[in-house]
Amino acid sequence: MSAQFQTIIALALVALAVALLVRGALRKKKSHGHGCGCPTDEFKARLKR
Amino acid sequence: MSDDPITSAASPRSDRPVSVGGGSLDVRTSSSDMAGATATPRLAAPARPPVYALVGNPNCGKSTLFNALTGLKQKVGNYPGVTVERKVGTAYSQHGQPIQIIDLPGAYSLAARSPDEAVTRDVLLGRRADTPQPDRIICIVDATNLERNLYLVHQVLDLGKPVVVVLNMMDLLAQAGLQIRLARLQHALGIPVIPCEAVNGKGLIELKLALSRQDLPLARHAWDVPAPIAPAIAELQASLHQNDGRPPLVARAEALLLLTDLDAVRVAGSSPLSVRTTEILQNWKKRWEGEGIDWAGALVNSRYEVIGRLCAEAVQQAGATGPSASDRIDAVVTHPVWGWLVLGVTMAALFLSIFTLAQYPMDWIDGRVTALAEWLRGAMPAGDLRALLTDGVISGAGRVVEFLPQILILYFFIGLLEDTGYMARAAFIMDRVMSRVGLNGKSFIPLLSSYACAIPGIMATRTIEDRKDRLITILVAPLMSCSARLPVYLLMIAALFPAGSVPVLTKVGLMMGMYALGTAAAFGFAWLFKRTLLKGETPVMIMELPPYRWPSLRSLALRMLERAGLFLRRAGTIILGVSIVLWFLTAYPKASAGMPPEQQIAHSFAGKVGRALEPVLRPLGFDWRIGIAIVSSFVAREVFVSATGVVFGVQTDSGGNLLPLRDALQRAVWPDGRALFTPLVCLNLMIYFVLAMQCLSTTAVVRRETNSWGWTLFQQVYLSATAWLVAFAVYQTGRALGF
Repeated sequence: MSAQFQTIIALALVALAVALLVRGALRKKKSHGHGCGCPTDEFKARLKR
Repeated sequence: MSDDPITSAASPRSDRPVSVGGGSLDVRTSSSDMAGATATPRLAAPARPPVYALVGNPNCGKSTLFNALTGLKQKVGNYPGVTVERKVGTAYSQHGQPIQIIDLPGAYSLAARSPDEAVTRDVLLGRRADTPQPDRIICIVDATNLERNLYLVHQVLDLGKPVVVVLNMMDLLAQAGLQIRLARLQHALGIPVIPCEAVNGKGLIELKLALSRQDLPLARHAWDVPAPIAPAIAELQASLHQNDGRPPLVARAEALLLLTDLDAVRVAGSSPLSVRTTEILQNWKKRWEGEGIDWAGALVNSRYEVIGRLCAEAVQQAGATGPSASDRIDAVVTHPVWGWLVLGVTMAALFLSIFTLAQYPMDWIDGRVTALAEWLRGAMPAGDLRALLTDGVISGAGRVVEFLPQILILYFFIGLLEDTGYMARAAFIMDRVMSRVGLNGKSFIPLLSSYACAIPGIMATRTIEDRKDRLITILVAPLMSCSARLPVYLLMIAALFPAGSVPVLTKVGLMMGMYALGTAAAFGFAWLFKRTLLKGETPVMIMELPPYRWPSLRSLALRMLERAGLFLRRAGTIILGVSIVLWFLTAYPKASAGMPPEQQIAHSFAGKVGRALEPVLRPLGFDWRIGIAIVSSFVAREVFVSATGVVFGVQTDSGGNLLPLRDALQRAVWPDGRALFTPLVCLNLMIYFVLAMQCLSTTAVVRRETNSWGWTLFQQVYLSATAWLVAFAVYQTGRALGF
């Protein structure tokens, strides 16, 4: 594996790590509720069904 | 008082069979049902799984029963107030029909005092627009404390919903020399009463059969509301229905709560009362005050009178009375002197286990991680990808995985102490200290949880009634040493004391010192806040000491597995990601060929940032490389270990082999050749991490729980400033003393 090819792969992995970290930071945390004891929207939708 | 309209109104509902969900009938109250007299069965809406609410006092095994019914894994504690989040799960009846179960926070009464009790009250009263009022209710009670537990049941029965009572901890009942006449209790209440041992899965089939019943009866629930109060309840009920839009039975339950709690605003919560209802309430209160009637006390006493009569009939003392085994143990572990000794020995045993038991698996993981890095170095030609994998991924995230055994041992001990019931005793002992600094006794459990992780600890503050006390607890919770600090402490202790240089007890002592420092700092700041920013009275702590129990090994194993999964996921996501990014920042821009690795890092982006920070960190004894690790660990504290792995872990010995991280740290030097990680610097780094707020997730939770950027920022600033100032004082004093 040439050094240049290694550099390209390594930099791509760095870009991927940055993208995933940013996405993780921006994404809304999935939880059982809204932090106030309320049910999730999925649960409410299931009840309505 | 049998002609009391409330009493007589409640009685006719006694044996009416109703059904919910999969069946054809549902219970709904209609406007004709104004007096709360009847629950009219009518055709149900299209079939959906019936929704059961699971309610009970704190620490009666509610979470254990919820797990047993739904199979969901959640934290089960053996001290009051562990359930702060509402949980929803699906159970299956004996006939395979799905049943939705909402696990509500533990509450002693529907006259809610704390935010989590308010959630329970509001869901049961159908106040939450986002949650359907449960069709049926499972009331779980601690069979060994029947009288106290039945108070909540008694209030729940006021709601006029079908209720199933679960008598949990029947095994402990026999140990306590008590017997319950089930048939008599069931007959008196008129609803199914199921004996159960949730922790062993006993009684679950009978419970599921009861939950499957289409014809679950309503309670034979009659009690004598004191005569002076009864007309007020009728008037309030009518007004709550007409002016506030409450359904009739809910209106009656709410009227009773309004006359149980002195604070009507607290009862109303997020559903403010109409002007008319408020007027009626005020008029009655004025009248009673003029007549010298203790209206709130009268209602509570009248409930306890009914419960007392019921218990006198249903509960029998089977064996000889005298102090139980729990009482005898408590005489020692809650003793003002011996109690502290037991607590100290328990903590020492915990840390001793961390150092001794974890050493073998740690060495094994270390060997595998190093071997993997060596193998990659041999298998791949030199280049950026190889450097990324060895210096970034393996030296970074790989080194953090080494600390998994210690984290597991910590959680095993915490689980053991919770499940046996010792944690509540520790809370009792600590309350003596906490009350002196003005902390609410209820703050202990959130603070205790924070030893594992500040996030559940901060969420557990919802059990604290007083807003200021809750805020103080949130502000100081991150000072309790969480499990994420453990790898930092261990790495520094390893760098401080080379293997075999000091007895293991010295390391244990140092570790306990760090935990003690965090606890003392939390108490100190609580004391300060209580007297300055958030002044208030110190409330009295009333706490239930649960009986001692054998821990469930399955529950402990599940909890350790869960924590191991969380830790590895964190290592494989955030820590791995940060390690890769940090590798890039230390590897670019490239220095000229042939430059030693240390100079490459100095030349890199990270090196430039580190050097820019060095003037701030140098007075603490930290150089720019430690600065890089500290800045990186603002994401999460464990990142400090991976960052030091990336920054320092690239060192090799004379044979070109990678050095273990602790050896690499011991060899790190300042440009003038002085050792960087001197004992004073290692100690100072530990102290810095005890005090600093280095966790983005905790910051996010504080923002959510306080609903204030101001308090969030204040916490960040005061903790960071304290960490810097204390570390500065320690380093400068140490230097002055010749260390």
